[in-house]
Amino acid sequence: MFDYIINVSGYILEGSLITFQLYLVTAIFSVILGIAGALGKISKIPLLESILSFYTWIFRGTPLLLQLFFAYYGLPVLGITLEPFPAAALTFIVNYGAYFTEIFRGGIESIDEGQYEAAKVLGMNYKQTMSRIIIPQTVKRVLPATSNEAINLVKDSALVAVIGLGDLLRAAKVAVTRDFSIIPFIIAAVFYLVISSVIVTVFRKLEKKYSVYE
Amino acid sequence: MIKAKNIYKSFGELEVLSGLSFEVQQGEVISIIGPSGSGKSTLLRSLIGLEKIDSGELYIEGVSVKESGKKAYEKMGMVFQGFNLFPHKTVMDNLIEAPIVVKGEKKAKVKKRAVKLLKKVGLYDKKDSYPVQLSGGQKQRVAIARALAMEPDIMLFDEPTSSLDPELVGEVLTVIRDLAAENITMLVVTHEMGFARDVSDRVIFMDHGEIVSDTIPEKIFVSPESERIQSFLTKILSQNDSSH
Repeated sequence: MFDYIINVSGYILEGSLITFQLYLVTAIFSVILGIAGALGKISKIPLLESILSFYTWIFRGTPLLLQLFFAYYGLPVLGITLEPFPAAALTFIVNYGAYFTEIFRGGIESIDEGQYEAAKVLGMNYKQTMSRIIIPQTVKRVLPATSNEAINLVKDSALVAVIGLGDLLRAAKVAVTRDFSIIPFIIAAVFYLVISSVIVTVFRKLEKKYSVYE
Repeated sequence: MIKAKNIYKSFGELEVLSGLSFEVQQGEVISIIGPSGSGKSTLLRSLIGLEKIDSGELYIEGVSVKESGKKAYEKMGMVFQGFNLFPHKTVMDNLIEAPIVVKGEKKAKVKKRAVKLLKKVGLYDKKDSYPVQLSGGQKQRVAIARALAMEPDIMLFDEPTSSLDPELVGEVLTVIRDLAAENITMLVVTHEMGFARDVSDRVIFMDHGEIVSDTIPEKIFVSPESERIQSFLTKILSQNDSSH
């Protein structure tokens, strides 16, 4: 029994490699996309604002699973064929980027107008003001919402099993079917819980660190 | 030092500055007084480019704002009613941020200057505190030091004591008084009539976007000619009495 658990855990851990990779790639690029999107949305350039509003409307208003199907099964119809991992990564980045765009926009807009004025009378330009005064303060305000998204992403990553990507959940399912045992699912659940808990802890530390000034 | 000619500014339909003209000489301390909504703050904000004037000409140290834009504003520092300190930075970092980032000065050099300024406003022991840990009066003194760290020739104060509890007004006014004695050119929008009377070289009285009077303090406080000034002073002085 013990040997079986070790064995299956090893097998599921291999699958979780894909999950980790997807998580990392999505986390990095969707945050970058979110910052760019948020800055675009507050840019007061009407065309850019409209395009970004359309983007967040589509990607926040339709199921992630549908978007995943579209990227993997739909795009080939249009002549664009992607391997499972790039299709999954692209979908997740664009989807989470849409959420981060709105979260970061809200965060930036919550900063008092007086901060911009203080920076301006001290001679700072737009880039200096945003990077040194506004965005650092925004980070603190968006941490709770970002933390939620970070945990959602752990769970959403399991969706990639439907396009045949051998992730954590798929490895568990394969083991369940093969061994006719429920234990792999329990192990998978423990894995997800561990990952989520680590993320919660990291964000809690960050929030504590940022709480010194408010 | 500052020369304003025929300045107009409207917010939508509402005209807040109606053709203002005045001059400020090097080292002058000028108080700008008048009822709420008379355009005092807008005037100050226009001088430093926080509001864009609709028409008129503005020269800072002989340089036209229209032509040189941002460059002209670099000679000025500003202190706000709401302090606007950077909450995520310590007191020291609030002071040294702009000189390093904007002027490209060496950190060690700026720090030395910041230490001097903090001692001057009596807050050196708070250099590692965050703004949230300070009282209103302390915040405003830090804000003054932060503006001075950029070594401006002209300091603008926009109701610097209006959001302070009465017992904290004194410490901020003392700092501004000390500056006035140092020959820095200053424009102070204020409701503190005692300060305006004692410290200013000139007092500008504004009402409905116009300069009603621009003269020495005695003329305004001792023998005001205009009825508008008289009624304003009666009102504000009775307010001050009842609040104390």
